[in-house]
Amino acid sequence: MGILGIYLRKLYTLFRGEVLVLPSRIVVFLFFVVLLFLPVVTQDPYLLRILILTSIFAILAASWDLLSGFTGQMNFGHALFFGVGAYTAALLNLHVHIPPYGSIALGGLAAVLAGLIIGIPCLRLRGTYLALTTLAFPIILMGIVFAIPGITGGELGVSGLSRLSSSRLYDYYITVVLMLGLCTIMWKITDSKTGIIFHAIREDELAVRTAGINTTRYKLLAFSLSGFFAGISGGLYAHFMRIAGPSTLEVSMSFTVVIWAVFGGIVTIYGPIGAVFILFPLLEFLRFWPEFRMLMFAVVILLILLYMPDGFLPWVRDKIEKECPRCKVRNVATRKTCRVCTAQLD
Amino acid sequence: MKIPKFVLSILLVACLVMAISLPAYAAKVIKIGVIGPMKFVQGKGHWNGATMAAEEINAKGGIWVGKKKMKIELIKLDSNEFLSMTDATNAMELAITRHKVDFLVGGFRTEAVLAMQDIAMDYKKIFIGCGAAHPELCIRVAKDYKRYKYFFRGTPFNSRYLVKTCFIHMATVGGIMKKMLGIPKVKVAIVAEKAMWVDPMVAAAKGFIPKMGMEVAGIWRPSAVATDVTAELSAIQRSGAHMIFTTFSSSVGITFARQAGELKIPAVQVGINVEAQKDGFWEATQEMGNYVMTMNTYARGVEANELTPRFVNTYIKKFGETPTYTADTYTQIIYNLAPVIEEAGTLDADKIVAIMENREYATPGGKIKYMKDAQGRHLHDLTWGPGYLTSLGVQWQDGKLVGVWPNHWKPAKGVPEITYKGIVPYKIAPWIIKEYKK
Amino acid sequence: MILDIIISGLINGSVYALLAIGFSLIYGAARIVNLAHTAFYMVASYCIYFATHKMGVHPVLAMLAAIILVTLIGLVCYRLFIDPIREHEAAVLIATIAVAMAMQEIMLIIFTGDYLSVPSLVKGYLGIIGVKIAYQQLLTFGVALLILAGVWTLLKKTRVGLAIRATAQDREVANLMGMNESRVAMITMGISVGLAAFAGAVVVPLTVVNPHMWMHPLIFMLAIVVLGGLGSLKGSFAGAYILGFAESLVVFLLPMGAFLKGSVALSIMILVLLIRPEGLFGVAFEEER
Repeated sequence: MGILGIYLRKLYTLFRGEVLVLPSRIVVFLFFVVLLFLPVVTQDPYLLRILILTSIFAILAASWDLLSGFTGQMNFGHALFFGVGAYTAALLNLHVHIPPYGSIALGGLAAVLAGLIIGIPCLRLRGTYLALTTLAFPIILMGIVFAIPGITGGELGVSGLSRLSSSRLYDYYITVVLMLGLCTIMWKITDSKTGIIFHAIREDELAVRTAGINTTRYKLLAFSLSGFFAGISGGLYAHFMRIAGPSTLEVSMSFTVVIWAVFGGIVTIYGPIGAVFILFPLLEFLRFWPEFRMLMFAVVILLILLYMPDGFLPWVRDKIEKECPRCKVRNVATRKTCRVCTAQLD
Repeated sequence: MKIPKFVLSILLVACLVMAISLPAYAAKVIKIGVIGPMKFVQGKGHWNGATMAAEEINAKGGIWVGKKKMKIELIKLDSNEFLSMTDATNAMELAITRHKVDFLVGGFRTEAVLAMQDIAMDYKKIFIGCGAAHPELCIRVAKDYKRYKYFFRGTPFNSRYLVKTCFIHMATVGGIMKKMLGIPKVKVAIVAEKAMWVDPMVAAAKGFIPKMGMEVAGIWRPSAVATDVTAELSAIQRSGAHMIFTTFSSSVGITFARQAGELKIPAVQVGINVEAQKDGFWEATQEMGNYVMTMNTYARGVEANELTPRFVNTYIKKFGETPTYTADTYTQIIYNLAPVIEEAGTLDADKIVAIMENREYATPGGKIKYMKDAQGRHLHDLTWGPGYLTSLGVQWQDGKLVGVWPNHWKPAKGVPEITYKGIVPYKIAPWIIKEYKK
Repeated sequence: MILDIIISGLINGSVYALLAIGFSLIYGAARIVNLAHTAFYMVASYCIYFATHKMGVHPVLAMLAAIILVTLIGLVCYRLFIDPIREHEAAVLIATIAVAMAMQEIMLIIFTGDYLSVPSLVKGYLGIIGVKIAYQQLLTFGVALLILAGVWTLLKKTRVGLAIRATAQDREVANLMGMNESRVAMITMGISVGLAAFAGAVVVPLTVVNPHMWMHPLIFMLAIVVLGGLGSLKGSFAGAYILGFAESLVVFLLPMGAFLKGSVALSIMILVLLIRPEGLFGVAFEEER
């Protein structure tokens, strides 16, 4: 009992020192808590469905940011990974009878392969050329999908897949836990040495090369990782909807991912996640004005771009937190002095 | 002061949403969810047909459910299935869990209907499909009856019968051409949009056309939204085709008809052209779509049976255009759901299914009887044939869409000829007559 | 058959060239990737439809009105949405997508998703050696060439053209030389949107009008400018005709695969990029620091 008490107190001190100190960390903590404990409050299947889809798309958006935000390789064909993951999981599940946890993982690996396939030609391309070329790949794949309808089901897609799990509640927990886990992994990647190299490649690739780092390898790594996570989200989508169709490869899907990520703030992993959690349910709520739904969506995007070009979440973060000029540690905006070095915060 | 406004507006939206989604009043009504692509003509048809039915029933005070009379309340759900699959499944879930509908009608795009069907079956709600023709929807019923028995096809009859009817049209027109123009062997160009529902039809056509005494001149597969088919048309003319067998469901139907008319290609168009079923086709092709023939369910002035004129004329009076097959939500509510509910005396899905699947009833389109498969299992699919549903062959003649088939149609030996009331003779374009008449 | 391919290729190519030149202009002069370019083309089509159908105006007048109206709309959009964020390239891309989506939705609300069409300027067709060409198609081809000649003259022979070319080559130095860089960008935007509207006016009688008609030409147009080299007008011109011919080849040689024209065009683009990353006529810029 005593030992437990000591540990609990340690946990509490840690909590108070690390989490409660900054509003952004509190928000993240609350986010985790709310998502994990929501089913205790309500188990409305419609709400759970929305949150499951949001989580799946959150993984997708975060994976885009990993590639395009951090490494600066603008990928306008992210739907390729999503579609490859979805179709692979679907085909493996339907024909080889691999259960969902296997088929989704393999879907992720197939998307890695796709990532390498498109990464290699894109190594030599920059900026707009890269963006437009990546745009082309999902379209080509869609053409192939329609050309071999015997295997891919053409525009009907592959249907009759097994469910993710036996009940909506389990589905919810699987997706949410997976989302939180994968996004934390992505966050850790960006916080590591690899992440620093990604930042550097985005800023000035030539300088990174002169420093002796093999940027090709890191760029391909970025493509593969991004592909992997996106493929997993594709597989989850296929099993949740129980159908994998050409709608997963559409240009609008690629564009939507980019819009979410830019809305939420690129070069942050939490930005796209937050954006999806705000925009997707909003889009669903706006169902009551079907004519104006997409229009309002587009207008919201334009306003964000005009007034918060770095993204919505970083803008909010800048409003509630300040950076200390001396030790560069973040503080709550209401503080007068830095919590670490006691310097004046103006 | 930007954040507060932003937040305020989101809060306002959220509050509005909460207010709307609260269960409004005690359910003394039968809730029917009408789910379809509401921004497009197919969804509009769904909604119009259902509204017409609900108004008619509510005017009489409602339907008898056991001892009390209950009115119908329609819930409009935009599935947006052409643009977003997640929207369609979300709408289905919203209908069942939030709006607590008792029955569902609608659906159009097969990819979406397959997913929506799964959700409805999860919650054991009766879902009547009014738009998707793929046989798979009903094969599922036979394979897993316990789960899928709540699904019925309302319209159209499945694509295998679509093919059959097309071939009959082709044979009829081929016969007319042979007689009128003296063509020994009719050459047919198959032009089918690139879509899944078409592939089996192309294969079947390739095999069947020689059996009808005609020859296949070539097969072209333009994109379903192609905006320029002059290349295909040049090639078709070069191939010497007398007839073009069209299978179009999307905008390419307009483009093809218009360009073929403008270039005066010497070949008649027969088959399926969904855009040509709509009243707006004449304008959309800039009046070049003359003499185009297509399958259709309803046409002005044509009566499949005594129920047809009342439905078609009331629809035209209310909505200003001829009903398309998605408006058969009207048929399904008035002639199927309502009488079955009254007979069952309850809204219980299982009891209703038991009665529904064994019924034979007349509708403005024909008589509906539900099929069983070769092993005798229920398919809940529509029977095709003389005396049941045959659909119509319609042709554009100088700005009017008229019925030209069945016209003295002899389905089989020993079966009497069928001609629906209001059918007029088929016409061949004058430039084609000029080209071929010796 | 070869004649079919040539004629079909020429006509398709001209249509694409019209769209691609406008897009290339604005990228070259202001480094703006205007993904809403084809959306303006769509708005122009709808304007013409509205003028001819609901107001009964003569088609040619309707076209002129549409061009002016759409150019104005384009300039307004530029001023409001793109000019403030020109520094962030990614943001500009997103903004143009959002503008395109907004326009699509507005068209959907006003006109619904039904397929509409516009009357041809000239009805009838011409038969050359067994190939039937509609007069409207010949008109399109002729007008396209005319406009391309016009743009070329503008760029080579006028002061405005000089300013545009200079800004395209080096923005900062052009600014130093006394050319108001942002005004040049605005003028270029106007010309670019005007070209898109012109393309709409000329091409629209041949196609079906619906709110989603801008996506397919967008893909093709992107493939063309990337293939030809971003910022190079010569390249866009060449690319347009190359892909136009590729499209006709696919349709004629592979009638069963006519729907694959999009994929084939894009594959050609990727192949060329593998060999020459700047496109055929593009200039490999050093990264602007």
